[in-house]
Amino acid sequence: MTPSKPHRVLLDRVSGYADEAAAYMRRRRVARRPFARVYYRGGRGADHAVDSVSGGELFVAAGRLIEVAGKKPKQ
Amino acid sequence: MTLGQGTRSGILADRMVDANSGTAISDEAAGQALAFLAEMSPDLRGAAILDSAGAVLAASDRPERWGEDVAALLEVADRAGGEPVEQIHIATEQGEVFAIRHAGLAAVAVTERFALASLLFFDMRSVLRDLASGNGGGEALL
Repeated sequence: MTPSKPHRVLLDRVSGYADEAAAYMRRRRVARRPFARVYYRGGRGADHAVDSVSGGELFVAAGRLIEVAGKKPKQ
Repeated sequence: MTLGQGTRSGILADRMVDANSGTAISDEAAGQALAFLAEMSPDLRGAAILDSAGAVLAASDRPERWGEDVAALLEVADRAGGEPVEQIHIATEQGEVFAIRHAGLAAVAVTERFALASLLFFDMRSVLRDLASGNGGGEALL
């Protein structure tokens, strides 16, 4: 039995990575929940939960901006 | 929440994190910066650039609405942490909102879901830095 041609090994490896990346993105899309994060000078960040008062206000403000921006223009 | 003109100016003028830019920025330069940002970010739905007084220098659409809503977002974010924020990233089911303050300016972008946050923040920061230095938005990146 002859070994696989080198370029096929490379292609298999690349498509394997692509499959893994696609699966990761699928899981991310399903599992990702809304969040609100703010960052301060120096790199410090803080999460604001959706059910908190500050989080609720941030989501309302963001919702208004999303409404202003509208849908993505068709190319 | 709708803020009056005077309130809006106070929010942005008093609390800019890097309010060290004394350069007057033309609407044309800001418009070019916005166009550059749109070109670099395929997920972008809309964006705006504001000066340190809270005035909209450029917006993809309806500048007066962008001015009011950006001021409201920054006010809420500043109040939430008790200090001026530098960056904001809010992800919802309908889209994502990014805001950044840099060099006395503010940029806000609304994107599709799952936009690459680090790249977008990098582009927004670069655009503001170029605008503040008088190079025009994004030209130094090309």
